[in-house]
Amino acid sequence: AVRLLRRPKSNTIVLSGLSGSGKTILFYQLRDGSSHQGTVTSMEPNEGTFILHSEAGKERKVKPVHIVDVPGHPRLLPKLDEFLPEAAGIVFVVDALEFLPNLRGVSEYLYDILTKASVVKKKVPVLICCNKTEKVTAHTKDFICKQLEKEIDKLRTSRSAVSDADVANDHTLGTPGKTFSFSQCTNKVSVGEASGLTSKIADVEQFIRDNVKP
Amino acid sequence: MLEQLLIFTRGGLILWTCKELGNALKGSPIDTLIRFCLLEERSGSNSYNYDAPGAAYTLKWTFHNELGLVFVAVYQRILRLLYVDELLSMVKREFCEIYDPKRIDYNDFDETFRQLRKEAEARTEDLKKSKQVGRPVNDSKKQGHVKKGGADGGNKKKSEAKGGSDDDDDNRAGHNKLENGHSNGHHIETDGSRGLAIGNGKENASVNVGAFDVSKLQKLKNKGGKKNDTAVSDSKGAKADPKKKATKKNRVWDDSPSQSKLDFTDPVENGNENIDVVAANQGESMMDKEEVVSSDSEDDEDEVGKGSAPNSKKKGWFSSMFQSIAGKANLEKSDLEPALKALKDRLMTKNVAEEIAEKLCESVAASLEGKKLASFTRISSTVQAAMEDALVRILTPKRSIDILRDVHAAKEQRKPYVVVFVGVNGVGKSTNLAKVAYWLQQHNVSVMMAACDTFRSGAVEQLRTHARRLQIPIFEKGYEKDPAMVAKEAIQEATRNGSDVVLVDTAGRMQDNEPLMRALSKLVNLNNPDLVLFVGEALVGNDAVDQLSKFNQKLADLSTSPNPRLIDGILLTKFDTIDDKVGAALSMVYISGAPVMFVGCGQSYTDLKKLNVKTIVKTLLK
Repeated sequence: AVRLLRRPKSNTIVLSGLSGSGKTILFYQLRDGSSHQGTVTSMEPNEGTFILHSEAGKERKVKPVHIVDVPGHPRLLPKLDEFLPEAAGIVFVVDALEFLPNLRGVSEYLYDILTKASVVKKKVPVLICCNKTEKVTAHTKDFICKQLEKEIDKLRTSRSAVSDADVANDHTLGTPGKTFSFSQCTNKVSVGEASGLTSKIADVEQFIRDNVKP
Repeated sequence: MLEQLLIFTRGGLILWTCKELGNALKGSPIDTLIRFCLLEERSGSNSYNYDAPGAAYTLKWTFHNELGLVFVAVYQRILRLLYVDELLSMVKREFCEIYDPKRIDYNDFDETFRQLRKEAEARTEDLKKSKQVGRPVNDSKKQGHVKKGGADGGNKKKSEAKGGSDDDDDNRAGHNKLENGHSNGHHIETDGSRGLAIGNGKENASVNVGAFDVSKLQKLKNKGGKKNDTAVSDSKGAKADPKKKATKKNRVWDDSPSQSKLDFTDPVENGNENIDVVAANQGESMMDKEEVVSSDSEDDEDEVGKGSAPNSKKKGWFSSMFQSIAGKANLEKSDLEPALKALKDRLMTKNVAEEIAEKLCESVAASLEGKKLASFTRISSTVQAAMEDALVRILTPKRSIDILRDVHAAKEQRKPYVVVFVGVNGVGKSTNLAKVAYWLQQHNVSVMMAACDTFRSGAVEQLRTHARRLQIPIFEKGYEKDPAMVAKEAIQEATRNGSDVVLVDTAGRMQDNEPLMRALSKLVNLNNPDLVLFVGEALVGNDAVDQLSKFNQKLADLSTSPNPRLIDGILLTKFDTIDDKVGAALSMVYISGAPVMFVGCGQSYTDLKKLNVKTIVKTLLK
């Protein structure tokens, strides 16, 4: 098959994160501007190609975005591999309210995403979105960022035992020897805030606009 | 009364809830249903029970697979409503007519639902009433029988020689009974005449039956008397018992006379240093090697037009081709049956337990019913794809199996990470314990072994040999000691000398053996290990289901704490002996929900690897 030298830039944004972090609500906020009657644990991905609700009706021409909300349940982890290869950007949703009890699970998931071959090779930008910030006891994004960096640092040492034979899945993350920080990643990792239930999704929309250029 | 009825998409968006039944549900029953039932491939079962503080619900559900919708009804378990299934299917039918993927709110469905509910409730009321009408007729007939029997009994008692004042009472009772008997006898006759020819026959029969009943009554009376006697003697016996001291008797397996202690434990420990010890270093454990996955060239053999399919069981080649090209309208259960049966047989030839294969097929059927067949696909390929999806989902662990990470976490808290190996006899606990120790050592984790198999001859020596070869400390107390106490002391010793991991070996035991299971439960409860690893061999067949469920049940029942420790992980052994009959892994994971953490594939230290889900699924469906 004859292929063009430069593939057309993908317009896919993947919403990922642990089960219960608020991805499906975000999906519907981006699409319809409301969370409707609420959600339950997703059993299948939610996919859609549309113009962001906040941009509908604007004068300038906006490119429709293909957003995929991948379920966070660990049993459905393989589904993520279907969508990651074509992602132009990843939004990693973190529950800022129940952050500390799930710290290990969150950091392992994030570590897995950051070390996937497709993500590293194509330098896919990642937005760590701290959700549920409307709640009083939600943690700040700086706190969450620091905690995640510490956990991933620990994960690096315990997962370093992977052989260097097959590079399909794992890469070493960051610079060995120094404490891990997101700035060491070859792809851009940024942190933002959101509140799915109260429609405060500006950070996410900005990220999408930055990465899906018309 | 229904607590709530929800309609939501498989992607998670709630489309409609009944606003009349405004009760907020306690806990999170829907999420739990999805996580522990629907995503666990148990959607073929009838209902799901959910307990939360303050509520006990039962949930029933139905799918509409074509539109990707789920309908769930929640009600209180004590009510046992009968109309829920019917209501769900009616709701499904009505809702699908107004469903539109673009539409989000369906407030007009409230009215439809109200009507449907009234209909369903009314229908159940009718059913109940018709059942009740039947009952009084039966009761009166029964009463007639008993009374007649009583009347005859009364007569007989009179004739018996019984001393005491009972006679008078009996006489009186007998008289009364006689009267009643007669009057009821009338009843029976009238009923019987209604029932035509059966009437007379019944009268005669009832007399005979009455006679029989009398003798029964006599026996019952005697039994009752005897029972009273035994009860009295029991209480007397119970008072005597506490006087005896409870001495512990040795476990006797057969009727052989108790032997003198055969403890050959080498009393001199230090003598072992004379032997030339070569630390075992056999290279990298297979846990760290990436598995080479063969290319998927054999897939897609079911696609239409790409050659013949010898497995096809369709009636005619031409008609099947035509159907697959056109794309059949909706999959019915009858269409799925032959394909599912073929899949189930295939799974069973791969050594999957029969019960598990059955449940899996039901679950896949539930998820495919009503779905539209895509064009250019055959039913068997759709079913195969769905089954593959389901298998991957079951075998993918639902929690992290990164043991090294857990060990590091425990290290930070300055506690040793305790792993207990349990299983039935002869599955390979001690051997695989040594393999795990070897692997951990390779990752710079300090390991200590605890020999809590104090029953089998040679178990302690076996572990000692392994410890010597691997040069790791071993904690042992010889034979005939209480394993729970040995384990406790081992953990204390490990905390003292700073070992990161303690691997506890236990004696093999059958799942039906009550005292041994109790001992195991005591060990787990007393020491609260970080990981309870069930060691099961891949050669096991249908017994895997029984083993795991009984182990879990006993651990839960005999536990003293409110959150009992269950089996956390599975170690699958003797994997190299089974070629492609890998079904035991599936049975074990399905029945217990615990992930497979290690796979033992040989008898040397390096033969330990991780479970490769995709390879297993491919092998199962080949």
